[in-house]
Amino acid sequence: MSDISRDDLMAHLDGQLDPARRRAVEAHLAAHPEAAAELALLRRQADALRTLYGPVEAEPVPPRLDPPRLALAAGRRRRQGLARAAAVVLLLAIGMAAGWLLRPLGGPEPHERLIADAVSAHTVYVAENRHAVEVAGTDGAHLSSWLSSRLESRLAMPELAGEGLALLGGRLLPAPAIAGGRAAQLMYEDAAGERVTLYITPAAGIGGPAYEIVRFGADTALYWADAVFTCTIVGSQPPERLEAIARSVFAQLDPEGTPPARPYRDL
Amino acid sequence: MADILDEIEACVPALRRYARALTHDIDRADDLVQDCLERAIARRGLFRPRGTVRAWLFTILTNIHRNDRRRRRRHGAALDLASVPEPALPAPQPGHMALAELARAIETLPLDQKEALLLVTLEGLAYAEAARILGVPAGTLMSRLGRARAALRGLTGAAPEPHLRTVK
Repeated sequence: MSDISRDDLMAHLDGQLDPARRRAVEAHLAAHPEAAAELALLRRQADALRTLYGPVEAEPVPPRLDPPRLALAAGRRRRQGLARAAAVVLLLAIGMAAGWLLRPLGGPEPHERLIADAVSAHTVYVAENRHAVEVAGTDGAHLSSWLSSRLESRLAMPELAGEGLALLGGRLLPAPAIAGGRAAQLMYEDAAGERVTLYITPAAGIGGPAYEIVRFGADTALYWADAVFTCTIVGSQPPERLEAIARSVFAQLDPEGTPPARPYRDL
Repeated sequence: MADILDEIEACVPALRRYARALTHDIDRADDLVQDCLERAIARRGLFRPRGTVRAWLFTILTNIHRNDRRRRRRHGAALDLASVPEPALPAPQPGHMALAELARAIETLPLDQKEALLLVTLEGLAYAEAARILGVPAGTLMSRLGRARAALRGLTGAAPEPHLRTVK
């Protein structure tokens, strides 16, 4: 019976043998008292171990080890985590939206700030009825000489009757995009009462592209710059209409210059 | 989900017993069980019934205990055998001396032998299941088990049989 190993004895003790093998081990034990004594010792050891720690199983379980309670607490923590994550996402979204909204005003490019200023001025003053302009267009000569002296450039009032627009008048405005800058705003109106403004500044110190077209909600701003002036036309008309007006204005402001090539970038 | 929570709950007494025998410290043992339960509950959606919930929980608890010990070692709290406290047991009665001696002897076993011995002897797991929990082949489990038993016999001497009988 030498084929019975210590592992077999141990497996017999731990109840891991199939019936045939168990019978073989039992026969071996009957014939070998020293093996039986060895196994009895291991059994006492195992019994002692169970005596030592077995009673723990019968102890009342403390509430902190109650799985339903732990699951509830975990759910609460998860919900709090989700709420916190949602709050972070919301703040990020607000920040991005604010950044996007402020982008034209805080834009690093001077010409972009000019466009934003032109749109702001347009929005403020086209809504005015009695005080839409500072000097009425009926006094064209005075308006022209006053604005020319303030802009330190000769500025003729563009005649846009060909485009169906009458000059309402103009006003002097600060041009925050330029250090100490000034701008002339000229306002025109068509037969239907739709108003268009031109926001004109000296071109000195303004880099950037010669043409830019930007949509701000219902309004479109068309900007161009030449050697003398920058002009931003703002109105709610369709871009093609503003482009036609721009060509006419350009031809009168700068008779020697080349008219604006297609003043478009994709909207 | 409610079903698996019930199954987890049914395993808590056994987990406490195993953890108590591993650490020989009531508070540390229950901390281990709590960590184990929290982890299991958080991942219960991932549990696939390939093995039993019980085996899954014992695996988690074993791993947490190993990591815990490794962390304690790193933090310089090397376990000094002489400092292992006398187990707090009731007043000496016949048989209790032998049990106290056995408890101290178990404390001195290498962890891998202790895990094997406790899973098989105390928890009554089959060799194959215990081996899976410890992540070793069955042969390795048996050799650890054999070494643990031999070491205990050497440390406790011949356990006086009549005394043990009286406590049973």
